[in-house]
Amino acid sequence: MGSVTDDEIIRKRLLIDGDGAGDDRRINLLVKSFIKWCYSGSQEEEYSQYQRMLITLSQCEFSMRKTLLVYDMNLRETENYEKTYKEIECSIAEAREKIAECKRQILQAKRIRKNHQEYDALVKVIHHYPDRCETLKELEALRKELEHLSHIKESVEDTLELRKKQFYVLLTVLHELKQTLENHEKPSKVEAAQETSMETDPKP
Amino acid sequence: MERTMPQAVPLGQMEVFQALQRLHMIIFSQNVSPCGKFLAAGNNYGQIAIFSLSAALSSEAKEESKKPMVTFQAHDGPVYSMVSTDRHLLSAGDGEVKAWLWAEILKKGCKELWRRQPPYRTSLEVPEINALLLVPKENSLILAGGDCQLHTMDLETGTFTRALWGHTDYIHCLALRERSPEVLSGGEDGAVRLWDLRTAKEVQTIEVYKHEECSRPHNGRWIGCLATDSDWMVCGGGPALTLWHLRSSTPTTVFPMRAPQKHVTFYQDLILSAGQGRCVNQWQLSGELKAQVPGSSPGLLSLSLNQQPAAPECKVLTAAGNSCRVDVFTNLGYRAFSLSF
Repeated sequence: MGSVTDDEIIRKRLLIDGDGAGDDRRINLLVKSFIKWCYSGSQEEEYSQYQRMLITLSQCEFSMRKTLLVYDMNLRETENYEKTYKEIECSIAEAREKIAECKRQILQAKRIRKNHQEYDALVKVIHHYPDRCETLKELEALRKELEHLSHIKESVEDTLELRKKQFYVLLTVLHELKQTLENHEKPSKVEAAQETSMETDPKP
Repeated sequence: MERTMPQAVPLGQMEVFQALQRLHMIIFSQNVSPCGKFLAAGNNYGQIAIFSLSAALSSEAKEESKKPMVTFQAHDGPVYSMVSTDRHLLSAGDGEVKAWLWAEILKKGCKELWRRQPPYRTSLEVPEINALLLVPKENSLILAGGDCQLHTMDLETGTFTRALWGHTDYIHCLALRERSPEVLSGGEDGAVRLWDLRTAKEVQTIEVYKHEECSRPHNGRWIGCLATDSDWMVCGGGPALTLWHLRSSTPTTVFPMRAPQKHVTFYQDLILSAGQGRCVNQWQLSGELKAQVPGSSPGLLSLSLNQQPAAPECKVLTAAGNSCRVDVFTNLGYRAFSLSF
């Protein structure tokens, strides 16, 4: 794997930087100018070339620092992206859980609504019939009336019985009296008849 | 139902014949596979078509995905009712129950696993089977239909264990009350009868047409559809669609729908019903109409909710009736598309 990426890198750099344009060229030029400076002759040329070399060196250092900074920045950017990616994943998972929870709550709410409606339906049916207290009161009143009436009936029956008995006594006494009178009358009639027959007999 | 099997049809008229067949097709029953990805639909010619719901609902669905994957001749007469167990599809119509393996059903030339006929009183007439019901607790199947009885068949042994008498006219629909294992049956005689499976006796009878709030004598007294939620029951047909409280046998809410309803089901806090009109109606339990979604058939005979846990992406409502199309509703608010025979 390492060799593959190295090849890739090399290919990319060759494409971009093939003939040594840019930093590489600068370093090569520096090396060449250093060698030239070692073999140079006059003082001013030495000094100017020395200055030029310092400038090139500082340019190289500057570009190197720039590249290092860019590299650091890239690293931090990738870290940042990783972090946001993880956060987004977390929030997606949370949202999914919330959706599932809400779905459960919907089902629960539907069940509750169904129970409410069943309750309402039964209440409607129950309200067709009057209240239990009222019916009990009516029943109580009716019962009392019934008791009262049965008392009256009893007392009326009692007096009826009494009167019947009294009339019975009266009638029996009357009957006996009649009998007695009849019995009394009969012997007196017989005597009277006997007397008249005795009177008529001695005359002729 | 006429039998439209051709003897010798010249090739040129084949397309005409097929077009006529599709024009007069009625889809009586639908059922979802246990994996949730396929839908079986049975029509009045005795054919069963298997549609792939996952293909039709996927994002690259084309016109061919809305056609059946396979269509085969299952019965000689119409397929009035279908149910699914874990591995089998049971279909019934012309007096027989046939079982098909879901795993094999997509292959050509699929044969039924077994076929059984409940013991009918007379062997002269073979009454049709209008409704099938699975009782998972005792692993049995209940059949009901033209002979006014409910037959129970044990699925393991295939024997017919009980015959429940009571209805005086043929039975249209069945429902299972899960808490106390009771079966509700509704029929042409206008009564909804509750049967206790353990004692095999009739526990309760509700004569719907005798209640003034819901009876509609001009429509008749037949009960076309039943659904139950253990404490509550919805039934409709000739009488108006009504919600009943089973414990007290009182009608609590009458839904103001003029057309007789042929299929009803409870779903979450709603009641879905479909019948003679074009629309699937959604009702609140309080009697308000929440929504009316039109379908593509002039009348609807069956609704099917795919609630199989194995395929949550295929969770749809399908409606079929007096046409060769099955409407698919992905969201209860509108019709997404139609599958067609």
